[in-house]
Amino acid sequence: MAFKPDINLLAAAMDRVIPPVDDLAGAGGMGLAEVVVEKSQADDRFWDALSTVLNALASSNEFLANSGDAQEDALRSVESLQPVAFNLWLDVVYTIYYMQPEVHRRLSWHGRPPQPDGNVMPPWDESVLDVTRQREPFWRQV
Amino acid sequence: MTNADHNPKRTAEVLIVGAGASGAAVAASLAEDGFDVVCIEQGHWQDASKFPTVKPDYELRAMSSWSINPNKRKLPEDYPVNNDDSAIEPVMFNGVGGSTILWAAHTPRLHPSDFRVKTLDGVADDWPISYEDLEPWYDLNDHVMGCAGIAGDPANPPRSERPMTPIPLGKDGEMLAGAFDRLGWHWWPSDNYVNSTRYGEGRDACNFCGHNMMGCYQRAKSSTDLNYWPRAVDHGAELVTGARVREITTDSSGRATGVNYQDAEGNDQHQAARAVVMAANGVGTPRLLLMSKSENHPNGLANSSGMVGKNLMFHVYAGVTGIFPDHEGEWVGPAANMILSQEFYETDPGRDFVRGYSYQTGRGQGPGSTARGGSPRVPWGADHHAQMQRRFRNTVGLGVIGDDLPEQHNSVSLDPNLTDNSGLPAPKITYTVSDNSRALLDHALIQGQKVLEEAGADEIMVNRFSREAGWHLMGTARMGDDPERSVVDSNGQSHDIDNLFIVDGSVFVTGGAVNPTPTIQAIALRTADYITNEREDLKA
Ligand SMILES: Cc1cc2nc3c(=O)[nH]c(=O)nc-3n(C[C@H](O)[C@H](O)[C@H](O)COP(=O)(O)OP(=O)(O)OC[C@H]3O[C@@H](n4cnc5c(N)ncnc54)[C@H](O)[C@@H]3O)c2cc1C
Repeated sequence: MAFKPDINLLAAAMDRVIPPVDDLAGAGGMGLAEVVVEKSQADDRFWDALSTVLNALASSNEFLANSGDAQEDALRSVESLQPVAFNLWLDVVYTIYYMQPEVHRRLSWHGRPPQPDGNVMPPWDESVLDVTRQREPFWRQV
Repeated sequence: MTNADHNPKRTAEVLIVGAGASGAAVAASLAEDGFDVVCIEQGHWQDASKFPTVKPDYELRAMSSWSINPNKRKLPEDYPVNNDDSAIEPVMFNGVGGSTILWAAHTPRLHPSDFRVKTLDGVADDWPISYEDLEPWYDLNDHVMGCAGIAGDPANPPRSERPMTPIPLGKDGEMLAGAFDRLGWHWWPSDNYVNSTRYGEGRDACNFCGHNMMGCYQRAKSSTDLNYWPRAVDHGAELVTGARVREITTDSSGRATGVNYQDAEGNDQHQAARAVVMAANGVGTPRLLLMSKSENHPNGLANSSGMVGKNLMFHVYAGVTGIFPDHEGEWVGPAANMILSQEFYETDPGRDFVRGYSYQTGRGQGPGSTARGGSPRVPWGADHHAQMQRRFRNTVGLGVIGDDLPEQHNSVSLDPNLTDNSGLPAPKITYTVSDNSRALLDHALIQGQKVLEEAGADEIMVNRFSREAGWHLMGTARMGDDPERSVVDSNGQSHDIDNLFIVDGSVFVTGGAVNPTPTIQAIALRTADYITNEREDLKA
């Protein structure tokens, strides 16, 4: 049967791996579970990782009803039993979370893609070479 | 020229397989010298305006459709690679420009000693050529590709001025340079094929965006689609894209007659040629030579020595990363190395390994890449935000690139089961890390920590080994004077077949402890000049 992600389960797991901070909700509470599903659909490897993690959590008894500590234990157990899938899923969650403008603002970072604006290249300052330039040539003659 | 204009029915004077770093250089040189050149490339031209660094999800794309790893990228032009028996995964890009589309463009040269390791250190083999033999073509390549750097490095032979001043070190680079200075260890601004000023047709100075390893939108990073290819095409070279070579064909005397390939529409074609030049990289070239077996060549083409696919070298990589709280370094500047240290480049009898390594210094990373980390990732859970805050813009790394001496059992062979989307056998990589490489990396990690401590790191994270770091593909069709122990001679000409040449990293005898591409391109240009000057017979 085709895998259909449980958005509530995914959001709860995401809140556990990236919890709320300051005035920001956790990664799940920010509504990013849908984005994780959408982006995972575009890459088989991401999709397989997502399904492995969610299926494992779904079978780990009432994840949603559990306390925070129990949810963390369940995630640690998936991490140790399915490390490849868990780590890839975590990479996807991290990357999507750190694409968000409000997260960038919290990190005091400009938050735009690298291009097209770029940054300003400082001038080349030759005085940085003052010390290393004193060294005699030491390449091995053949 | 578009593919539609190409007429495969005619006989080319020189046919090149692969349009990457080496294929482009050889194509431009031969076309300028009046040869009728056709190049067949499985990938496509890249449109810089479509590079993903203009989009907010660029860091996610780096993990999938813009990954450096063909097994993750999975574009139609990629072929899969079986890495199950390899400690290192090869990475590459398939398209016009080849892997220079994604490369970091850090461009040091081999040292004179790298060509003489047998004589000097009693290991591996000497090259049949020397540093001095290659020097004129190194210089030429620096000018065509556009090198930013500065003469005077005491760890390397004297060199002519580079066409551009170095890329500024930035806050991170200056901090590390200071630490090297205080330790009394060598460092020098790294050579980069990245524009520090406007250089080359339509190519701006770097705008310090911080991320050029997903294609350079600014065209400040040099790649061969921006320089060698326009020159080659201007001089009449035909570049056929989206076309995958299946085999090199031979006549009854065993000489190369051209290639069979599948064109962009999926039709089988034959392109006849008076000579074939292999430039498909250190994995693609042995793969094709092994696929081209026939009655006359039962072990694959050019393989009477049995050395095709053997002696695979990658360079071994590891690294140390320091956390410098409140450093607030800027994540700006080209991904390539800021400074290079070659304090431990040469053999020292007091150490438990031969040959040596260089340190490379990476600039910072974006938020997603910082969180994913390489060494190690930011932990998930309650401590996540505090750790991320501590690391983002506050980490500075030293990478180690270690000499990786050739061993026959490290190899590229044909996978019996896995195939690409044309049904051709995928390459299978077999590679183990030698005791020498491990000892060398362990030494480098200890010394590297001293640098970061000297720089004031609050905490140091160690990455003992990088697996997805097979960006340098070398040794699998090596050059030599002895036809029983090598595949090509010092001019890149096959010992077995006098109209078959190899110009990519396959021909390396040893790898040194520096990035290989200036050497690959110098070799390609030198082979092109050999063809021009000595092989009049290949002209129609
Ligand atoms: C992420 C990354 C970073 C790097 N950074 C650096 C660096 O900083 N400095 C440095 O010196 N080097 C670096 N390199 C390595 C550098 O890119 C390579 O050394 C160089 O591009 C090799 O040139 P080449 O011509 O041998 O092969 P490539 O440039 O790989 O080109 C080979 C071409 O052959 C084509 N091809 C293969 N098989 C076939 C076939 N059957 N039919 C048709 N076409 C075929 C491929 O599609 C490809 O375009 C990096 C590489 C990567 C991937």
